[in-house]
Amino acid sequence: MGVRDLVGRRFSAHAQTDVLSGRVRLGLFGAGVVAVLFAPVAQVVHPFWMDLVTHMFIFALFALSLDFVFGYAGLLSFGHAAMFGAGGYAAALLIQNVTASALLVLPAAIVVGAVVAAIIGWLSVSARGIYFAMLTLAFAQLFYTIAFNDIPAMLLGVEAVTNGDNGLVGITSLTLFGMDTGSLMSYYYLSLAILAGMLAVVTRLANSPFGRVLQAIRENEDRVAFIGYNVDRYKIVAFTISGAMAGLAGGLWVPFNSTATTSMLHWTTSGELIVMTLLGGMGTLWGPIAGAFLVVFLEDSLSAIGNWEIYLGIVYIVIVIFAPRGLAGIFQTVRKNPHPKVLLRRAGDALTTYREKVFQ
Amino acid sequence: MVFEGIAKTALLGFEMGMTLVLVTVGLTLIFGMMDVINFAHGSLYMLGAYFGLAVVGVTGNWWAALLVAPLLVGLLGGLIEYFSIRPLYGRNPLYHILLTFGFAIMLHGLVTEIWGGQVQNISTPAVLDGSVDLVLFSYPLFRLFVLGVSIAVTAALWLAIRQSDFGIVMRASAHDSEMVDALGTDVNRVFTAVFVLGAVLAGLAGVLLGTARAVDPGMAASVIIQAFAIVVIGGLGSYRGAVVGAFIVGMLNAFGPMFAPQFTDALLYLLMAAVLLVKPAGLFGNPEAT
Repeated sequence: MGVRDLVGRRFSAHAQTDVLSGRVRLGLFGAGVVAVLFAPVAQVVHPFWMDLVTHMFIFALFALSLDFVFGYAGLLSFGHAAMFGAGGYAAALLIQNVTASALLVLPAAIVVGAVVAAIIGWLSVSARGIYFAMLTLAFAQLFYTIAFNDIPAMLLGVEAVTNGDNGLVGITSLTLFGMDTGSLMSYYYLSLAILAGMLAVVTRLANSPFGRVLQAIRENEDRVAFIGYNVDRYKIVAFTISGAMAGLAGGLWVPFNSTATTSMLHWTTSGELIVMTLLGGMGTLWGPIAGAFLVVFLEDSLSAIGNWEIYLGIVYIVIVIFAPRGLAGIFQTVRKNPHPKVLLRRAGDALTTYREKVFQ
Repeated sequence: MVFEGIAKTALLGFEMGMTLVLVTVGLTLIFGMMDVINFAHGSLYMLGAYFGLAVVGVTGNWWAALLVAPLLVGLLGGLIEYFSIRPLYGRNPLYHILLTFGFAIMLHGLVTEIWGGQVQNISTPAVLDGSVDLVLFSYPLFRLFVLGVSIAVTAALWLAIRQSDFGIVMRASAHDSEMVDALGTDVNRVFTAVFVLGAVLAGLAGVLLGTARAVDPGMAASVIIQAFAIVVIGGLGSYRGAVVGAFIVGMLNAFGPMFAPQFTDALLYLLMAAVLLVKPAGLFGNPEAT
């Protein structure tokens, strides 16, 4: 065992094409072109679709942020709502009191998200697995109760900061270079551009030596520590980067939704995010984006039939049991075994394994 | 008088703590045995309350609900363990969190679909209506009953784990399941039994607290987070830790609003984080498990 195991075949840039292979890049480029062309079509057909897709973009960005720590570094954060909410509240307070300029509000949301994540990460990284999840959950709930009881207002001696349970309402839209982004179409393009930009950043990071170390930590953190890497520092930095992205997602969400509420900070938001990431497939970059699209779409379309949570829950349970790598895993299996017969046999194998494990 | 207020609050805290024990022992036993963090445990507690509501609605008999609802919840818990948790043993334990979170989502949707989102009440049985004069203050009789049942169940369970054959098998399986399996005990069956036991207790707590307070779909989310805080403070997998943790959280819940109403919830999470930072395995947890 040694450096070769780490930087050798398995993790070399050549062999590990999974981060974004040429074909996936092509697919993403195609998806980007479709997304750019979609808005004018939706404008004509039904503007509501633009609203839904903007919602998808923002949550895709949020899911991408979790994927970066969970999928790459193996840190199951059950507290990503803290950074999402912190970024959102920061954006809301800035827009209400200072400026609506996107060039100031969004960077502020990023910084606030990063700071919150750095604190939570610094305090939590020494715990592993389940304990890490529980610690992040505890800290996120701490932020929730702080916002819910408006503790900042009490400490500062003012009437309201987070405005407690009522949240901050009537947040106006962002301006960019003096232009209002209030129209659905401009906000659609703003969110799309940010999502695409962040996807590029994360791709770059995941392919960098830093990203490789994170993946090595996910596989076996003891080995990485023995080699001499400061594992905790890598984890904290990864968590902070992830928190910055979650904060950005929150900062985008609040002007879009025109409110900042405590539900953004609640642990069920973190849970929903995990559902998105896992449904899509963690550790791939397009998987969580697809997962966020799917969940937002299911929430919207199933609410017409009845309670969407029932169906989402069932889909999710089936995926966890039979396809733990999510949609991305299913897609990869299909690509490797394009023949329907082979696929059917593999599905049959999976069922047999399940039956054996249950009725052993 | 101040003293009366403190005494009454202490009794309230004791009652809250003891009822929380019913929810948390299941969670902690399941973790201790199978390394499964059961996110659906709060949902089983909620189902206990709703099944109780339904049984009272059909039969009009609260005592029937107290008996039938926990058994139904236990049956459901057994099915969940058998068909979804069992096939995941041997995988990363994080998958159990993910799986049971799926159940929590589904059950929340199901309950809202069937019973609606509004707050409902189970009427207290006539025998237990009214209050008792406890020299310094009076206290609702039903809540004393809840306290009594909780203490009795906790003590009985502790004795069972210490003394009974099943308790011995349970503890042995938690310690080394492969060895127990090799010695001829079907560990999978023990796991299912423990899961059913945890579900029955959660269902029982659901009926009792659903009657003492209220029944609504949000009760799962609020209890599960408290239960997690308790087991983390006490030490995941430790029975003693669950009891002590529940006692601490019960007192915090009772006295918090007296002194610092806005900080009560924050204190709970601060306490949880502080304990984890100092003792990563919790007060009574096994440090090797981390």
